Amino acid sequence: MSTWAPVEYTGVAELRGPLVIVRGVRNVGWDEYATIILESGERRHGLVLDVDRDLAVVQVLEGTGGLGAETTRVTFAGSPLRVPVGAGWQGRVCNGRGRPLDGGPPILGDDSAPVAGFPMNPTVRQPPTEPVITGVSAIDALTTLVRGQKLAVFAEGGLPHLELAAQVAAQAHTGGEPFSVIFAAMGLTHGDAATVRDILERRSSAAELTLLLNLAGDPVIERLLTPRIALTVAEHLAFVLRRHVLVVLADMTSYCEALREVSAARGEIPARRAYPGYLYSDLASIYERCGRIRGRPGSVTVLPVLSMPGGDITHPVPDLTGYITEGQILLSREVPSYPHIDPLSSLSRMMRAGAGEGRTRPEHLDLAAQILAGLSRARQAGELADLVGESALTRTDRRYLAMAQAFLVGLLAQRPDEARTLADTFDRAWQVVSVLPRSELSMLGEQALEAGYRGQE
Amino acid sequence: MRDALAPLAEALSRQAEIDARAIAARAEDEAAELVAAARRDARAVLDGARSEGAAQAAADAVTSRVEAERRARRMELAAQREALDELCARSAAAVGALRDDPCYPRLLDRLGDLARASGGADLVVEVQPDGGLLAKGRGRRVDCTLGWLAVRAVDALGGEVRRLWAP
Repeated sequence: MSTWAPVEYTGVAELRGPLVIVRGVRNVGWDEYATIILESGERRHGLVLDVDRDLAVVQVLEGTGGLGAETTRVTFAGSPLRVPVGAGWQGRVCNGRGRPLDGGPPILGDDSAPVAGFPMNPTVRQPPTEPVITGVSAIDALTTLVRGQKLAVFAEGGLPHLELAAQVAAQAHTGGEPFSVIFAAMGLTHGDAATVRDILERRSSAAELTLLLNLAGDPVIERLLTPRIALTVAEHLAFVLRRHVLVVLADMTSYCEALREVSAARGEIPARRAYPGYLYSDLASIYERCGRIRGRPGSVTVLPVLSMPGGDITHPVPDLTGYITEGQILLSREVPSYPHIDPLSSLSRMMRAGAGEGRTRPEHLDLAAQILAGLSRARQAGELADLVGESALTRTDRRYLAMAQAFLVGLLAQRPDEARTLADTFDRAWQVVSVLPRSELSMLGEQALEAGYRGQE
Repeated sequence: MRDALAPLAEALSRQAEIDARAIAARAEDEAAELVAAARRDARAVLDGARSEGAAQAAADAVTSRVEAERRARRMELAAQREALDELCARSAAAVGALRDDPCYPRLLDRLGDLARASGGADLVVEVQPDGGLLAKGRGRRVDCTLGWLAVRAVDALGGEVRRLWAP
């Protein structure tokens, strides 16, 4: 395609829903980016969904309202969608396609990259070794997020998963190293979007955050681009500009519903619960774009946040996400206090690589294991107490119940605007285990106990 | 008889006196304790209010700093947008002025060649009154009007545009 003299196709054969069928096209390929020019001069954008000889099916991102078959012109970019990349994204608020919503100029970059991205060469991947401190005690202490990791947040219906995602995005840091956050919000209502923007304001003004906002009323195909644009920007910030980047993708269930809708519009054969059969590989093409590359200091960490329809963890979206991600943080209604993280159902598989001596605290892994073991025993004791009454429990079991209560009140419960330092989190964690008799703390070394234990025995 | 009861009365009165003194002492102790507790409570309330006030002041300071930063950022972005709009307007004017250039007919020839090379040799070229030309064929056309050329020129600058506001 010529930059200076692009061909505009005027043979619009049909307008059907969000689709424009253009005839007479030459050299147009699948997934090519298209610009649709209306009679008024307004420009809209689209993607080629299908090509058959000289017919191209274009899905218009902004919808086909107001388009006339006689007066619409379509040009094709000659390549899939590319976005400008660079530091210009930082501190900006854009829609799901990367167009500014903050009154500023369009995002400008010296370079551009295809939003579909390239898979990372497995031989140059470097294992994660350093943590991302989220400022949320339950995550930092028990399911530490590690740079280059993909860790999903699963939420039962009605829980404030977006608030938690926004809180993590607003507070997270990597010590003194260059850090950026990209928050890709998908399918949010105006109310939720306002809440997320309010929480993120502090970081946004510090020019470390990029917010991509795809609202529930925005076109679904735009929702398919939003996480990919976020990751394309993140990859450049990480591997060219050498920053550690946290990409928060919320809510991935909305993304998958958009994928289902587009798949149905394409007439594809539906699979489980009408999601397309390639849902797994599509999700993997997003989640697997995280990591670290040997010889380059930056990292991309992905935190997909998703609501489980009907609280069902076997639903295709959480199920397939769980196969790909390296652990999960589960928000449960059974946990009464914000952030509602159920520690016994949550796990960070990379935690061992990013916590401990020289990274967080030497006793971190042992302390986390001790707390989880204590909570597990407390759960058993609680079930027994339901049957026989608490007074019939042994003294030790009652201490475990007290420890679980101390965990809930002292460590887990946290205000949505409260950023806890690692020192504060560990202080609270030691207070929790100190409710137990010292003889019960078999997972902690003598040296750690001497330094941290504050109990009576 | 009266004398016989006198020691009892004396003992009772002594006991009553002792009891009264003990009650008075206890009451005094209790009163002192109450006063001390009240003072302690008052101190705690004061300390709480002081730390709450300090926390609120700190939070307010953060809020106003964040608000100021947001305002500054909004103004900066709006100014950048204005600079870009100005560049677009000026480039449209500059490209529009090409019509008065002696080389304009050669430019039209060159644009015609460009349009046909891009859209096909069968395109029919129409010179536009606003400048530039439009090449039309069956089901396709190539817009080489000067207005669009100006827009494409600014688009082609890409990241260069940032030099408008770079320090």
